Amino acid sequence: MSITAETAKAHAHDPAVLCCRAEAGITIEPANLEDPAIFDDLVDSGLLNLDGCLTIEEVLGAKLTKTCDSLAPLTADVLDGVKAPSTPAAEEAPAEAEEAPAAAAAPVAAPAAGGILKIHIGEGKDIDLQIPVGALGGGAAAVEVPAAAVPAAAGAAAPEAEAEEKVVRSLTRKHFNITEVKRGPETKIEGTTLTIREGIEADVIADQELVKDFHLEIITPDKYHTYSETIMDVQPIAAKEGDSEIGEGVTRVLDGVVMMLTGVDEGGVQIGEFGSSEGYLDENIMWGRPGCPDKGEIFIKGNIVVQEKTNMERRGPMAAHTAFDIITQEIREVMKKLDDSLVTETQELKQVRRPHKKKVVIVKEIMGQGAMHDNFILPVEPVGVLGARANVDLGNVPVCVSPLEVLDGCIHALTCIGPASKEMSRHYWREPLVLEALHDEEVDLCGVVFVGSPQINAEKFYVSRRVGHTVEMMDADGAFVTTEGFGNNHIDFASHIEQIGMRGIPVVGMSYCAVQGALVVGNKYMQYMVDNNKSESGIENEVLGCNTLCPEDAVRALAMLKTAMAGEEVKAAEKKWNPNVKSTNVELIEGAYGKKLELVENEQSLPMSQKRKEKYD
Amino acid sequence: MNNERLKYGGRVIYMEGVVVDVDDCSISVDLKGRLGFFKAPKRMFICDTEPKVGQEFGWNMSFPEQLGPEVNDKYVSNIEKERRKQEEMRKRLDNKED
Repeated sequence: MSITAETAKAHAHDPAVLCCRAEAGITIEPANLEDPAIFDDLVDSGLLNLDGCLTIEEVLGAKLTKTCDSLAPLTADVLDGVKAPSTPAAEEAPAEAEEAPAAAAAPVAAPAAGGILKIHIGEGKDIDLQIPVGALGGGAAAVEVPAAAVPAAAGAAAPEAEAEEKVVRSLTRKHFNITEVKRGPETKIEGTTLTIREGIEADVIADQELVKDFHLEIITPDKYHTYSETIMDVQPIAAKEGDSEIGEGVTRVLDGVVMMLTGVDEGGVQIGEFGSSEGYLDENIMWGRPGCPDKGEIFIKGNIVVQEKTNMERRGPMAAHTAFDIITQEIREVMKKLDDSLVTETQELKQVRRPHKKKVVIVKEIMGQGAMHDNFILPVEPVGVLGARANVDLGNVPVCVSPLEVLDGCIHALTCIGPASKEMSRHYWREPLVLEALHDEEVDLCGVVFVGSPQINAEKFYVSRRVGHTVEMMDADGAFVTTEGFGNNHIDFASHIEQIGMRGIPVVGMSYCAVQGALVVGNKYMQYMVDNNKSESGIENEVLGCNTLCPEDAVRALAMLKTAMAGEEVKAAEKKWNPNVKSTNVELIEGAYGKKLELVENEQSLPMSQKRKEKYD
Repeated sequence: MNNERLKYGGRVIYMEGVVVDVDDCSISVDLKGRLGFFKAPKRMFICDTEPKVGQEFGWNMSFPEQLGPEVNDKYVSNIEKERRKQEEMRKRLDNKED
């Protein structure tokens, strides 16, 4: 297919290949050329060889000296009047420095040759040419403008902005340490010992008609090598103090212990999309991921048995989560009465607005296709059930929350999708991107938007348009769009990015993609993407939380958004997944910020299968 | 890429199937031509309208190739445990009904 003059301009430095047979003597125009977007596939399959091929800008206007067939790469020996190539200075230099604005201290001003700007218009009317002033001053100037602008702005605005930094609200987390969990006649906390009432199982079963049986297990670190059903959720144990609401006031939280939910139906079939993180706990959990337990923590693990065949119905998992919360709620009631003398650490989280900085918003796409593709939003207690609304019931429309509400457990995740990329309730409690953006003094995080991912395409586009308008009316300068899992949610993920991008707002997209989660669709606004993959071979490796968003991804995304907001170009990714892109970016960030970024481990750090074999019964 | 282990990975074939069951979480499809059945999470299906029993779906797929003769004991152990548990629970359920 031939290309337009605009496409030719955009691809000026890409190879020039004829789109159809051309006779000797013609002058090469954009209409004679093939769209470079398809070349990768052709080269891969051996249909096209680009060796010695000239670029589009070189061949335009040249005369063809020999009749050539379609898909013939244009080389110097078949053309007459080839133009000299201009150095793509303004494009390549900043592209190398992906995190250029942050690299202000060391601007990567490659001694780019000041290319000649030649504009020849043979015929035409109403032509407006807009060229950035910097671009005319030679390549080096083009690089320095954005790079120099940032420190200047930062330097001048810093004292003023700091003075104006506004604390909208704050949230205090009071930590209580638990070192032992046991069963006893009543639920209580004495010192660092949590006792759970014996017979509480009966209350859990009685709470929901669909819940037929329930077992509670206390997993201490010495029992990590225990077989477990598919883990549905990992939740922090936290309670609000007094009348304070989610996202403000005081929250009390237990350290060293988490709630863990597993479940089956009466026929013994796993609740949770399709099983697959069942097995030995220590081999299936990626320790320390935001959503996962940390090594050394005690798990209060409940296995719920729901009515036969309701494991794949929406009401099954909902009943399991609701019934399990009976135990957490009983612990919460006890926590509310605890004496302050038991507090081991007090942490204050502040929602800070920085009016003179670039305003950014985080859009978090959550699953909303039904059943265990669902989330409870805004319960009364952190990660509770009471008072919350399921996003499927809300029609998956965007819900705006404050960053502190996210960190205070406003999402109770029912999501039980692929284990490696699902975001469990605890993930939101420690959401790295929210924390990173909130603490970054160079941006003004205005809020977080949750949007569900419906099953049907028409509904997907319905909600993504709402996201576009929501972000537009925020007057945001930049946005992040994140999603968990992969599959058809990548359609609305792409659409959210498009809806925000078409309003002129740079968007960084974050998702697990790599090999198995490769995006279904794309659009021209998806230029800034961060892959959450950590697995060695880029797959859904069945290890809980392995490919979820971690601090290192948050840092990369923030650096990328700042680059995009500064108007720099970010180099396009390679066609196939290449983990080296991430390591190169990490190195660039480390160089620019002058600090070491500790990367998290992946499944390779877990017990190896050879050793495991001996342990199996 | 992991598909380097496939000998015939490039052999992509267009397939069709009929939806035989839809629940809140998954869609079940009978492959046309008596070529089998599969059930997959809803999020892996792309739908313009609400998925319903009797609708036809199309997709590209290839031949599953054995990756090697080794048996992974982890999976055997999990499957065995799963089977035993299901049997046990089924017995309990049957007793309850009696």
